[in-house]
Parts: sequence; C-alpha cells; structure tokens
Amino acid sequence: MVRAALASKKIGQGPVPGAVYVPAASVVAASLFAVLPIVAENGWFPDCGFLMLIGWRLRRTDAWPSWWAAPLGLLNDLFAGNPLGLSVTVWTFSMLVLDLLDRRTIWRDYWIEWALATLFVLLYESAQWLVAAWMGARVPFLFMLPPIFISVAAFPVAAWFVGRIDSWRLGRR
Amino acid sequence: MAPPRTGWSRRAQYGLFFSFIAAIAGLAIGLILLALSIASPERFKDLKGMALDVTAPVTGALRQINTTASGLASGAGSYWDAANQNAELRRQRDQMREQLVTARAILQENRQLKAALQLREQTSDVVATGRLVGSSFESPRRFAILSAGARDGVKVGMPIRAARGLIGRTIDVGTLASRVLLVSDRANIVPSRLLRTGQAVICQGRGDGTVELKPLEVGRNPFHRGDIVITSGTGGLYPPLVPIARVIRLDGDNAIAVPLADPGGVSFAIVEQPYEPEATAPLTENDEGLP
Repeated sequence: MVRAALASKKIGQGPVPGAVYVPAASVVAASLFAVLPIVAENGWFPDCGFLMLIGWRLRRTDAWPSWWAAPLGLLNDLFAGNPLGLSVTVWTFSMLVLDLLDRRTIWRDYWIEWALATLFVLLYESAQWLVAAWMGARVPFLFMLPPIFISVAAFPVAAWFVGRIDSWRLGRR
Repeated sequence: MAPPRTGWSRRAQYGLFFSFIAAIAGLAIGLILLALSIASPERFKDLKGMALDVTAPVTGALRQINTTASGLASGAGSYWDAANQNAELRRQRDQMREQLVTARAILQENRQLKAALQLREQTSDVVATGRLVGSSFESPRRFAILSAGARDGVKVGMPIRAARGLIGRTIDVGTLASRVLLVSDRANIVPSRLLRTGQAVICQGRGDGTVELKPLEVGRNPFHRGDIVITSGTGGLYPPLVPIARVIRLDGDNAIAVPLADPGGVSFAIVEQPYEPEATAPLTENDEGLP
C-alpha cells in the first residue's frame, strides 16, 4: 500500500519528502507533550506518545520496523521522566505482540482496533503502576483508573490525527 | 517470522526477519535498562540531567506565557470586587498586627531561652531559588521540574520549600533544571510533628496530591480537622519547623491532609542545604532504593 503510494509520480500528488520518517517523528512530537508546563496534583494525562504509536501501528503494518519502538520509547522515558527502560520495554513488546496478532487476525474494524488499544493502554498503565510500586511508590490501583479511562477515550482522537497525518504524508488529499 | 508475509522477495523476507530480531534485542535492552533503573535510580543521572536541560527551558518559556496570560485575567478580576476586598484586607491586617506583637514577644523569649540552653542550630542556607515549571502529569509518580540546576549549586537530596510550606526534595539534577520529588509522592516520607501537641508523626504522600499522616505512638487518633503538621528535623534532611500540610479528614488511626504549598500555585521555590549534611550523607547512600 505505502510502497505503491510512494512510487506514484503524479505532480502535486506524491508523498512529502521524508514520508517514511513522518510516523516516527509524529510519535516523538506527541512524546514532547510531557514538556507542557502543567503542574498537576495527580497524573491524569494520557501518554500521547504511546497513543500515537499504537494508532500508527494499527493503521499501518509498515509504519516503521518494529525495533524503532525501542529508541522512540527511550526518548519518551527521557522527556517524561519515567524510569529509563519502562517505555522501551512496553513499546517494543506492544510492537511484537501486534506483529504476532497480524498473522492471526482475519479482519478488523474500528471497534476491534479500539479494543486492542484499550488492552495496550491497560498494559502500559499497569506496567507504570507496577514499576512505581517496585520503586517504593505503591499507590492503590484505583488511582490508575481515571488515567486509563482518559487514555482509552483519547485513543480515537490520536487515531484521527494519525489518519490526517498519514494522508498528508502520502499526498492523498 | 512474525511480521506479515511479504511474498517471494528473499530480500524483503530477510529485512522483516532482522527487524524482528532487532525488536527482540530492543525488548531485552529495555528490560535490562528498567532493571537497572529500579535497582539503582542514581545510575542514569547524567542522561536524565541532560534530558532535563533540553526540555526544561522549553517548559519554562511556555510557563512564562501561561503565567502572563492568567495573570492578566486574574489581575482584571481583582478590580472587580475591590472595595469589599479592601475592607476585608484591612480587617485581616489589624488582626495580624496583634498577632505579630505576640509573636515578637515569643521570639524574644525563645531567643533568651535558647541562649540559656546554649543550643546550637544549623542556619538554613538558601542555595538557590527557582520556579516550578512542570510536573509528571502522565504518571502515578509525583515529580515537578524546578528551574534551577547544578549551575545554581543545586545537588541531589536538597530540601525544597516555598514561603507557604514544604514542597519536596531534589532527585535528578541537570545543569539548568532539576527534578523534585514532591511531598505528595508515595515514596516521599517526611518525619514531622503535630503543631498543636508536638506529637511525632510520619507524613507520607498518597500520589493524588494529598498526604497521609500516621502517628508514631499507638493510641487514640491524635488528629483533628484543620490541624497543621510541621517538619520535625528528624533524619537531618528537612529543616525543622517548616509547615507541611493541613488535616482535612480522619481515616482510622491516620489522617489525610493537603499540602499547604500547592506546587501549581507557588511562584518561587527555595532550595536549601540539607539540615544536617553529615547526617544525610550516609542516609542517602542507604536510601538509594527509595528515591
């Protein structure tokens, strides 16, 4: 699909330069949301980088080679101040699981994609919670429910952005 | 292997296979990094400090814009009810003046008593002042970004306070900025005491912006609503007599309290020397597992 689109030579219709790197760049940009000057009492904000990552990977199998998730995760850890390795592990693991799932799924629709995204958000937030507990900050899991709900609700927004960016980078207006 | 089939191209098949192997390698590296970060959070301090230096100036600049915009809005709002506010402030000022006289008398008496007792106290030296520009709003941990770093003399393990009360202590330090473990983080435990009775209590964050207070002695719940808790100076990290939190409700033998210094509302935060540096030196080494 992408290869065919990248090869198109129509004037004004082709992909933007560096279209191959746009997905990864948009994930880094979403990770940079952590730089926003919000001083919050609790961690309710969704992890935008992760939502974009899942959104891209569900839209395209070949958004990036799956190992790119590791350096992208490292950047996210550094920006957000997570313990180093948390996003590296969870993001790369998610890519591998989705690679395996792609071999099994016959068909997909929006609901299945949202359900998959919910599972991955659950995985990510649980990992965050567990690592925090191991580092001496064990909070009740109940505190994690609002961020999980907000992230799940925010996924369609991320998927919409992914769709817009994707059609822009491939020159399909 | 796992990725989608690519047809008959041997090159494409190999490409996908190696990408799969690389992803597994990435996963392994991630797990090792995570294990190292959990085992000794100090390990990647240079890398984390660099990341802070890159991101914190951006956060600081955005914060400035934000503050200016909201300052304009609230500044306009202050004029709205000026007459009533004025009267209220006058009343408060008169009240404060009376209290000030009493406080001065107590201070003087205190000084005489201390001189009599030959008490020596470490004076709290201000290392630096900065603004709280950002926070970890994406995670269950409670960190804030302070716009002062190693350049201003900030080191890991220094107490941070605002005029209103205790904020936390530094855990990562970059050249330009540092990361603060807030009082409301679950891993932050502050030895404190009840202002009203002087009873020793332990103050631990709950991760949702409030703190939990536990009395050290077993017995009747000593807390009342509205009680103020201050640092006791035990442990040598936090200086004594810094207000921490106000009790909002009782919870069994414990109490839930709200920090007096709201990290979102304080304009300036003060970095101080550890109260007794020689007391914290061995403690921070033993304490590495609990940042």
